[in-house]
Amino acid sequence: MAEIVVTGMGAISSIGLTIAENLHSLKHEISGIQRAKHFKSHYSDSLVFGEIDQSDTSLLEELGLEKGLGYTRTTLIAIKAFREAVANAQLTPEDIASTRTAFISSSTVGGMCYTDDLYHDANMQGSPSEYVKNYEGSDHALQIVRLYGMKGITDVVNTACSSSANAIALGARLLETGKVDRVIAGGSDCLAKFTVNGFNSLRILSEEPCKPFDTNREGLSLGEAAAYVVLERKTDVSGTKKIQAAFSGFGICNDAFHPSATSDDARGPRMAMELALKRANLNPEDIQYINAHGTGTPNNDVTESYAFSKLFKNVPPFSSTKSYVGHTLAAAGVLEAIYSILAIQNQEVYPSLRIEEPIADFSFQPTLKYTPEVAIQHVLSNSFGFGGNCTSLIFSACI
Amino acid sequence: MYITDLYAISPQKTHDLSFENGDWQVLNEYIYKAIEPSYQDVIPNSQLRRMGKAVRMGIGVSLPLLGRNPKPDGIIFGTANGGLEDCIKFLNQIVEYNEGVLTPTNFVQSTPNALAGQVALLSENQGYNMTHVNGSLAFESALLDAALYFDEHKTEERRILLGAVEEISDYNYNIDRLGERFKQELVSNEELLNSKTSGSYCGEGSTQFYLSSNPENSLAKFSAFKQSSHLSQAEIGDFIGSFLAEQNLQVSDIDCLLLGKNGDVSTDSWYEETEKLFGAKPTVYFKKSVGEYRTVSAFASYLAVQLLNGKAKHLVENSIPTEPKTILIYNHFDAIRHSLILIQK
Repeated sequence: MAEIVVTGMGAISSIGLTIAENLHSLKHEISGIQRAKHFKSHYSDSLVFGEIDQSDTSLLEELGLEKGLGYTRTTLIAIKAFREAVANAQLTPEDIASTRTAFISSSTVGGMCYTDDLYHDANMQGSPSEYVKNYEGSDHALQIVRLYGMKGITDVVNTACSSSANAIALGARLLETGKVDRVIAGGSDCLAKFTVNGFNSLRILSEEPCKPFDTNREGLSLGEAAAYVVLERKTDVSGTKKIQAAFSGFGICNDAFHPSATSDDARGPRMAMELALKRANLNPEDIQYINAHGTGTPNNDVTESYAFSKLFKNVPPFSSTKSYVGHTLAAAGVLEAIYSILAIQNQEVYPSLRIEEPIADFSFQPTLKYTPEVAIQHVLSNSFGFGGNCTSLIFSACI
Repeated sequence: MYITDLYAISPQKTHDLSFENGDWQVLNEYIYKAIEPSYQDVIPNSQLRRMGKAVRMGIGVSLPLLGRNPKPDGIIFGTANGGLEDCIKFLNQIVEYNEGVLTPTNFVQSTPNALAGQVALLSENQGYNMTHVNGSLAFESALLDAALYFDEHKTEERRILLGAVEEISDYNYNIDRLGERFKQELVSNEELLNSKTSGSYCGEGSTQFYLSSNPENSLAKFSAFKQSSHLSQAEIGDFIGSFLAEQNLQVSDIDCLLLGKNGDVSTDSWYEETEKLFGAKPTVYFKKSVGEYRTVSAFASYLAVQLLNGKAKHLVENSIPTEPKTILIYNHFDAIRHSLILIQK
């Protein structure tokens, strides 16, 4: 099978508007979860969020886009991260538009991020809003396809919180089977009343910034982010283009247990990790760091820990970087893939922040402090979603 | 990818198979609503009550298919919007109760992957599970995913449940109406293609296929497919020409065309360009039967399989093909996203 490598990365999140800014925050344990400045909701003053510190107006201006054309926040942050990724991979406009380039994106809230406009349009109150043609989950991708004149394969997946991990896996499969020569894969989700109220109705939001893998964790913090990676076959990469990391394998399965919770025996998470290791031709002891799904909900963190205990004789260092950015839903898989790659490149582990008392039921605990000089060859990155969708990805140092 | 079984719930009587055997419902409505079976024998009542329409129709098609076939290795769905009615019901609660204490049922049901997740749950299937929401190419994306899956498991026999679902609720109908996608005036579906106005009428439904890598007892196969975006009318000839060339086919090899003409004068010209390319061919205009919606190409594929098996001949216009072996589907949405699907016996 062809070796797949990452040749470009772009990310915008609450801890940075670029990859470099994200890396700086990760190294310095700077969390982005706090009171929201831009997001207006009944919960703006009572909950904390991983909000990107840039307004829609400022994004529109920076990106040089015309007002009034239905660019939602989901789309704006997607365009920003997309631009960074394709520039990083030195893709020309011709490369991007080519029929040999695939674009695989993902989003959960998609174009429905302006809840109030959607309410008025859906109930036909007053004249149509600017966004009346932009409510689809795929709208952000369609806008990018139009802006770049992309003629190749496009796709948008939605498997809830594992969406962009699946976008990366799908992209790799397109490369392995020779259907395309390069793939831009990732996802975008912005804060929206829809999602905040949805998670709130399930009573899994934490009032304080989330603390995944802490005994007294109270739930998750929602965040917003967009991130993309460029994937190519290693044999096609030449010249000055830098290989960021190798994408070694993935595992995708369904927990088939409950619409919004993980099974007690964590059969789905375990199977996803096992499938990823098998596909990467690796053993559990080859993994030096796990970027956990680690949402901070009572259910996830204990079942994920249980899965680790069953799969690994000695559980390697692990952490949840959701403690920095919150749960960014569809964007979480790709953002955490990028954080995993940064861990490999810099040979360091970014910790789970704010843990006072690690979950006591297990003999292992997450990494609590920024740890440099760790030899990391292979990283496992987990993403589990509502609907039972479980995905694990493995990234490796590229020799 | 061989199709060994299929089933659909649509605005025509596909649920009891009378549509493919000659029945055709004349529709004089703005909304072509799916004709749903009672579901009594299929879905337990306690679960049925909680299901939104998209999940209900989807499960209503999945469970009979799963019941009469061996367990699939994967479940792959395409839907542009998933359970939109639940989505907007939840949204209405948010606004009307000013973000107060809300019940999560609508929220959980509204996520587009709720259907694939529920099917996995009800059939205890831990296999590959994916939901594509690529707008009007969502079914094509699901098809691509299935093709990759079979490509990757060439050495063993594999099976996939592949499907599409779309629902109309009052809300998304309102949104698309404000977006000027639908006709203001009413003509029947018999007259749809002669209406000379912009817009179309909207439809809904779920269409699903049981796919296998084993050709034994198959009804037909998905031979090839291709998608593109933002093609001008002048580019459509090249798009189709190169697709046929890649498959080593000539225009004369296509026995029957299935075209997505929907009576919208502003975008039907892409189909007319296609008809010029093929000359007089037996043709089915499938949106006369089920209207316009974003995963309608799944229904067109269903129809192609029926035609290849000697059924649904009453829908063919221009001339009747004798035992068609190769069928080409061309569909576009808003003339922005274009798709070709080749289905052969």
